[in-house]
Amino acid sequence: MEKERKPKNIFVQGPIAPEKIAQSIANHATKTDIGGHSIFLGQIRADEKPEGKVIAIDYTAYEEMALEKAFEIREAIFAKYPLTCMHIYHSLGEIKVGEICLFVFTSSKHRKAAMQACDELVERIKAELPIWGKEILDMDGHVWKVNT
Amino acid sequence: MSNRIHIKAFGMVAEKIGQVSMELENPGTTEALKNQLFDQFPVLKSMKFSLAVNKKMVLEDSELVSGAEVALLPPFSGG
Repeated sequence: MEKERKPKNIFVQGPIAPEKIAQSIANHATKTDIGGHSIFLGQIRADEKPEGKVIAIDYTAYEEMALEKAFEIREAIFAKYPLTCMHIYHSLGEIKVGEICLFVFTSSKHRKAAMQACDELVERIKAELPIWGKEILDMDGHVWKVNT
Repeated sequence: MSNRIHIKAFGMVAEKIGQVSMELENPGTTEALKNQLFDQFPVLKSMKFSLAVNKKMVLEDSELVSGAEVALLPPFSGG
């Protein structure tokens, strides 16, 4: 019988620790039908803007809507690709340059489904989740991030 | 009977209007609400934002029911 999936919290307060990513990989060791994982990690970049250099991004979200939408996206990706597992984590709050703010993890029997699903998930997360990044500058100010 | 709606503002929109939430008399439709907000906050006229009603994106003029939660959403920039 297929397990019923429920909306999960995707939000993490603060940066995503590399140890959490390692632990998440280790947690899949018992799932021996997996043949390939695909991982995307978003990292805060020290962009140079005309107004100053980015030193951190402060993320806020319309959390209730984002979780509903993330669930919808998750279900659609599960329906489209033969995946064993899918995990999404997004940071909230202030994340400094060099730190990880997005962790997307897909697993499948064969690599292609995992890689394509991971790519599509990242694109949909950026385009459809009500999350905003305020870029904090070294010049005592901020600009709102624009996704390209 | 009271017919009010709840407004939530996020990101740059919240910053520009200086508020994250408001209660308003229900103007009836999303277009009427937009016009009312433009009168109250002229800064919104030059901003790009979308509306979500009860957590669903609204792409065309829609009726607002009493108690609706309307969110003002600037372009998303997660990830």
